[in-house]
Amino acid sequence: MTAMMHIQTTRFGELELEEGRLIQFPEGMIGFPDDKAFVLLEHRPGSPFMWLQSTETPELAFVIVNPLLIRSDYLESLPPQERELVTGKKGQVPLLFAVVTIPSGDPRKMTVNLLGPVVIDVQAKTGRQVILANSGYRTQHPVLQEESSPSSQNGAQ
Amino acid sequence: MLVLTRKADESITIGNRITVTVLGIRGGQVRIGIDAPRDLPVNRTEIVETIARENLEAARSPMDLDDLNETLSTGIKPKTT
Repeated sequence: MTAMMHIQTTRFGELELEEGRLIQFPEGMIGFPDDKAFVLLEHRPGSPFMWLQSTETPELAFVIVNPLLIRSDYLESLPPQERELVTGKKGQVPLLFAVVTIPSGDPRKMTVNLLGPVVIDVQAKTGRQVILANSGYRTQHPVLQEESSPSSQNGAQ
Repeated sequence: MLVLTRKADESITIGNRITVTVLGIRGGQVRIGIDAPRDLPVNRTEIVETIARENLEAARSPMDLDDLNETLSTGIKPKTT
């Protein structure tokens, strides 16, 4: 028998989940040091987005996304010591997420925080938010680029 | 806040594993050396505060993302190539 737990959430109501899905964040998320346990929830089948839901505070949940979907070279452009922070030691393959900010009323202006990704160790069921201070990444990287963006790959500049 | 006065080359020890040394003082700037275990993140406070603020913003993202779904999945796909 798998032990089940009930968690209260503002967005999804009361959820019944396997206890094995708990992910401990010993330090909390940055700015939220008191919430030390979260669960990952699918946003919707097929959606690239997931939710990191606190099991202690019903209203605390973050939309998260694999940063490699936003920047396929996300890891390659990191300085080596920072790459190690997010790729783990040899043999471990942590889950990597970036926190998404969605301005209310203007979802197309959504941004992802590439400076402070969330790293989850699947085996240990622990997670933490790391700071890539020397990466050059920002907290507000646009998700949906404008069609005419000069920074697109085929730009002539 | 605990306040201690230190000169250049003097240090303080926090717990058993963290030592903070004043390496030099020049103009209005102080150079600080920190010895801490590798698993303990050491960052400038401004960057930590920037991320805390962004997390707070992110936690306020709207509850209902339904109308986003298609925009998002189609918006993201081209950039993964």
